Amino acid sequence: MRQIALNTHISDTFNIELENLRNSVLTMGGEVEKQLIDTLKAIKLNHAGLAEKVVLNDLKINSMEVQIDEECLRIIAKRHPTASDLRLIMTIAKAIADIERMGDEIERIAKLVTRNKLPHSYTIKSSMLLIGERVAVMMRGTFDAFARQDEQAALEVYEQDNRIDSEYKHLLSYTTEQMEKSSGGMQDWLDVLWALRSLERIGDRCKNVCEYVVYLTRGTDVRHTPLENIQQKLDGLI
Amino acid sequence: MLKLFQHNTPKIHELEKASSAIDVRELNLWFGDKHVLHDISMRIPKNKVTALIGQSGCGKSTLLGCFNRLNDLYNGCKYKGEIVIGGKNINHAKVNVARLRTRVGMVFQQPNPFPMSIYDNVCYGLKLQGVNIRRHLDDAVESALKEAALWEEVKDRLFESAHLLSGGQQQRLIIARALALKPDILLLDEPTSALDPLTTLFIEELMAELKQRCTIVIVTHNMQQAARVSDYTAFFHQGRLIEYADSDTLFTMPEKKQTEDYITGRYG
Repeated sequence: MRQIALNTHISDTFNIELENLRNSVLTMGGEVEKQLIDTLKAIKLNHAGLAEKVVLNDLKINSMEVQIDEECLRIIAKRHPTASDLRLIMTIAKAIADIERMGDEIERIAKLVTRNKLPHSYTIKSSMLLIGERVAVMMRGTFDAFARQDEQAALEVYEQDNRIDSEYKHLLSYTTEQMEKSSGGMQDWLDVLWALRSLERIGDRCKNVCEYVVYLTRGTDVRHTPLENIQQKLDGLI
Repeated sequence: MLKLFQHNTPKIHELEKASSAIDVRELNLWFGDKHVLHDISMRIPKNKVTALIGQSGCGKSTLLGCFNRLNDLYNGCKYKGEIVIGGKNINHAKVNVARLRTRVGMVFQQPNPFPMSIYDNVCYGLKLQGVNIRRHLDDAVESALKEAALWEEVKDRLFESAHLLSGGQQQRLIIARALALKPDILLLDEPTSALDPLTTLFIEELMAELKQRCTIVIVTHNMQQAARVSDYTAFFHQGRLIEYADSDTLFTMPEKKQTEDYITGRYG
């Protein structure tokens, strides 16, 4: 693995452009992470006001995506990047789409909190918060791996999704059981299921970004490759 | 599996020996005491465009000149190693250099038409070879100008001076002059660096057409051009071949740090 030094181009302006681009992704990632933490806090405290703030803040994330996209286009048009610079820009252009969608999933959960739709069952609520915490850890790890261009860290984060998926399935079946026992209020239960699904999807999107980090550092596309085959693919065995 | 994009350029190691137009084997070259090329070994595939890139003074134009023995013109030039074209080592003392140069044509940075008509420029080489039958010359001129995508622009003024043509037209005329001799290999030494961007695109398009019938080796300082037009790219540094790969790989995931630094404009 070769670290990509962003500040070693002969053109200082290009160094600055790439550094700013990378930092803007980290800023966007930081915002989304904060949105998730605020949403979890809002669920925990039934704090509709905080959830409302999260919903409004999503506009900021959408705008960041558009701006970063435009900057990527501008750099491609003006600088004709190649090799690691090109991979960095492709990685960023793809990653921000996933990060923006993470923001949308968080917004969807927050909207349910603003309408007091999230769960009254203590077991479901605490399990949902637990999954939420794990997703937040995964998200932080994803952005760290991107910031450090650390393919091993990205793969470790990638693995965490398995646990989230299995806890999600477990909670899903528990929630479905409760639905069957419950009389009425079907829409409320569906809202809980949507929120759970959103958390699980954020984990998947983190996984996508981790795949882009591997592409950035190694130039190998590991999308749609089972975890157990990724290392072999990186070693050029498959 | 459904294949949406067809990029079928084989990797260098997948190329068969028989598919080489030029086989360079441990080539070393000196100008006087100066060791200019060091142990260059590479196979240039047939009917492909191969770009040679690197900083000024890295030896890429010198290597290009080796393919038609142009360096023989410089005093004190000596070389060791082989360059095999058509199964024969062209560095051998008994090689007929004039004949070699008809098979390996060359186009330079500055268009250099002779002070004569467009027609005479194109058939100059043929006349030197002793072709004098007018009908044969007419056919060769028309065919070469068509191949060089210049025929439509000059067919009604073939006997005007070549110097009345624009820079881009002159460069295509020089390409036509080389093509009239039906070369197997066409060497292009920065063929578009004196041309405007649109004319450059015409010449690049022409290369894509011409590789159907001959092998093209191009030296260029324009990396985007190398990435656009070439199937394979070789990166040279201080007279050494650092990396040689299919252009898709070299411009997206070069193996060597030196290559990466050069193509991304970093301090080496």
